[in-house]
Amino acid sequence: MLALARLVVVGFIVLTVIYVCLSFYSRAVRKGKLRQKWQDGPQKVNRETFVQRGLEKYDGSIRRKLILGVYVVPVVVVGVIIYLTNFS
Amino acid sequence: MAIIKWVFWITFWVLAGAFFHYTLPQVDIVRVTDTYEKRIDFGENSIFWAQADVGNDGTAVNRDVFFIQTRRAKGDVMVYRNEDTGWGWPPYFKFDTSNLQAEAADAKSTGEAAKYVAIKHYGWRNEFLSIFPNAISIRAVDGPDAAKGIPWLNIFILALFFAIAYAIWVRWRRFRMARIDPTLEAIEDDLVEKRGRFSRWIGTWRAKDKS
Repeated sequence: MLALARLVVVGFIVLTVIYVCLSFYSRAVRKGKLRQKWQDGPQKVNRETFVQRGLEKYDGSIRRKLILGVYVVPVVVVGVIIYLTNFS
Repeated sequence: MAIIKWVFWITFWVLAGAFFHYTLPQVDIVRVTDTYEKRIDFGENSIFWAQADVGNDGTAVNRDVFFIQTRRAKGDVMVYRNEDTGWGWPPYFKFDTSNLQAEAADAKSTGEAAKYVAIKHYGWRNEFLSIFPNAISIRAVDGPDAAKGIPWLNIFILALFFAIAYAIWVRWRRFRMARIDPTLEAIEDDLVEKRGRFSRWIGTWRAKDKS
């Protein structure tokens, strides 16, 4: 069980680093896109408000939750490998 | 400087190649001749052995290891160890060592009534270090000329590795051209100019034309 605990802890730390980096990156990309959209649009509200609203919408979106796949995918892959190696 | 660079990169790529050659799975077509277990006292070759079966005490200094003796379709012999990789490296997550040993024992055959199996394994056989490749799985095949199958997993992993290496290389080159090269050139220009001034100053101490 010690080896499993080590794998889980180290894996969790590594994946958390990836998750945090990816979510910051994704947010920055979204911000850039919103600014561009504001530039091209009718500019009814000022830029900060427009970007703020867009980011709030993004925070609740399914796209943002998809980043949680960083945790899900490796677990699924390990599960598949365990099945293929031992039970097939 | 160029030599140091070459030595560094050749060493790096040899190590990377050795790493993948050791870790990625390969398939041999073999005839199992016998299976046995032997007590192993791990010494300086311990890095080439896995750990105790999952759930067992991992602190013991020695333990029994399963082995599978084979003759390969090519004609030479090969001995495989059969150990759990468990939750550790390399990530095969193999827990069914004893089952695999049972399958291997079941596949035993003599040269007269040969039965061939494809044995998937990773690792190296080295007589000078007493190390053995670790068997992962066994499946029966028709004969010594059976196809090994296309190694999709190896292709995928190596492609991914080279893609990442290339991406890093391109970015590093761009960064160097944009940031480091101009700075180095500026330093060089500065040095040349200073040296020029210094030699002019030295010149003032030299004896002038005596004519």
